[in-house]
Amino acid sequence: MKWALVLTESAGIALSAILANRVRGALTALGIIIGIVAVVTTMTAANGLQNTFRKSFSSVGADVFYVSRQPWIQQGSFFQFRNREPMEMDDADALQQRIAGYGVVNPTINLPRPVKVGSTTMSDVIVVGTTDRMSYVSDVSTDLGRFMSPFDVRFKNNVAVIGSNIREQLFAGTMPINNSIRIGRKDFRVIGVMEEQGGGGFLGGPNVDRQIYIPISTFEAAYGTTNNNVDLAVKAPSQEALLDLEYRVIGEVRRIRGLRPSEPDDFAINKLDSLMGSYNSTMGVVVLIGLLITGISLFVGGVGVMNIMFVSVTERTREIGIRKAIGAPKRSILLQFLLESSFICVAGGVIGLLVSVIVTMAIDHFVMPAGLSFPIAFIALLVALITGVFSGLIPAMKAAKLDPIDALRYE
Amino acid sequence: MTDAPTNAKSGQPALSLRDVVKTYVMGDQELRALRGVSLDVYSNEYIAIMGPSGSGKSTLMNVIGCLDTPTSGSYLLEGQPVERMTDDELAAIRNRRIGFVFQTFNLIARANIWHNVELPLIYAGIDKNERRARALHALERVGLGDRLDHRPNELSGGQRQRVAIARALVTEPSIILADEPTGNLDSVTGDEILTMFDELHAAGQTIVLVTHEDDVAAHAHRTIRLRDGQIESDTVVDPALAPDRISP
Repeated sequence: MKWALVLTESAGIALSAILANRVRGALTALGIIIGIVAVVTTMTAANGLQNTFRKSFSSVGADVFYVSRQPWIQQGSFFQFRNREPMEMDDADALQQRIAGYGVVNPTINLPRPVKVGSTTMSDVIVVGTTDRMSYVSDVSTDLGRFMSPFDVRFKNNVAVIGSNIREQLFAGTMPINNSIRIGRKDFRVIGVMEEQGGGGFLGGPNVDRQIYIPISTFEAAYGTTNNNVDLAVKAPSQEALLDLEYRVIGEVRRIRGLRPSEPDDFAINKLDSLMGSYNSTMGVVVLIGLLITGISLFVGGVGVMNIMFVSVTERTREIGIRKAIGAPKRSILLQFLLESSFICVAGGVIGLLVSVIVTMAIDHFVMPAGLSFPIAFIALLVALITGVFSGLIPAMKAAKLDPIDALRYE
Repeated sequence: MTDAPTNAKSGQPALSLRDVVKTYVMGDQELRALRGVSLDVYSNEYIAIMGPSGSGKSTLMNVIGCLDTPTSGSYLLEGQPVERMTDDELAAIRNRRIGFVFQTFNLIARANIWHNVELPLIYAGIDKNERRARALHALERVGLGDRLDHRPNELSGGQRQRVAIARALVTEPSIILADEPTGNLDSVTGDEILTMFDELHAAGQTIVLVTHEDDVAAHAHRTIRLRDGQIESDTVVDPALAPDRISP
């Protein structure tokens, strides 16, 4: 028998069977719709989280690493980090001299300080002491005014470059440039406003829009460095040169800090890579659990389909008997029921996908940037189809194996 | 017990059963529905199988119709042994060689009668245009060529049975197996159906009919009576209807 003919006939029977029980079909598909929406939203959310995370750390830069006293992600005992020697401004100068021509070193130091303009106060603002090299190393630029100059650093000028968020909150409607801003107990003159970065403060990432940059020399004079460690941002000429430079810097910093060869490093190299790696391993588990739980809802939907397919087979026992008596082979009956369950599930998958698009748009609008990617849509439909085949298989096999005599006698 | 008919056509029988035994196991009991039935049916014979309930006539019908296989014994359908065939091979044999007419019509309710009649041709792998033409021809033969789009529940019992006959005829089967075809019909409609069988027989069709009514059996030229799973008698009722007496 020609396969195409069997397929068309079976597809026709399957469709008319679904259409004959529209409400039942819709309710059965609902289970699949919910399952698909849950799974797709989980995947979309995971994607969105990762993108947001990446974006919120994008100011870190891919060709930059940081030499700090402590790693960003601490593993093992807290005490091994606690007694380390502080990282100081001298270290920054020494390192810059040693790797001159290979990389640019920019020291930064930060503290939370309340900030005040007129009578408006803003708390938990991160005040960052840095140098003019910041604009080169971190690839940030000003929206208004200018960044600090080498002179500002050298002469410990009381100048500040503020984040876009600070401008919105403290200088709403007024021009911030050349206005006075009080940071802690010292007055600064605003010389620039940074470009908005967005996506800040997500998952503990830095909210660069809520930062104020002042010359590191001014910072030291005003707030001291004893309790605060200088971070050394090192920028490589290219992303490819990053690893080589990293080894070189490790060696140089060991020498600067006077470590003997047998001693372990008493400082940490922090990179976007290590941050992303740590994020991925953590989020991987979370997403896996999420998919497992949402997968259960899809599984329950599949069980619902299987249940209805058993009902459908029982209801149509006599029809199966007639078809077998007049010569329907097993595969034709099998196909008829497999197609019926597949149609229900794929229809559920398509509707679920459409609902997911709406849910994703809502997430994108209210929670975080998110988008439904083509691979996710494809996987969702494939999963729906597989669910359909699997939940239809046992009922379809039951139907195919029916004895025509018993089936014809069935009332 | 009388002798087997002497007026049967010579040559190979259309179907030939030898010592067919069918045993059902129900729990720890063995039910012997057929206890050694031997029977030859020649082309263009019109045979009635009769017997009280429990005599094994339904089982014999199922075996002849290839819906069931004998426990032992042999069954040749047009020279082909079917007793060891797989389910799908049996399905193919039913599809091509046997036309069923049931007491309860057994049409597919959701499909129109055209589709009901073309259904066996779909399983035979016939392409659409030929299917349509042959289904139309079969429906015209039973006088329903103008009702193609009706569904079975829009037709009377007699009309439904005629659709079933059209479905049985459409594959041009070796035999038509009719199981109490008038059992669910009033006597006038029943007579119409039986007249139709007479016409088919006159046109050369081999028919095996199962009934418990004598006046239905009277339409056949040969009557086989079963009792307790064995052939009790095999009689030529009306030699005038025997196949070799019919002018072509």
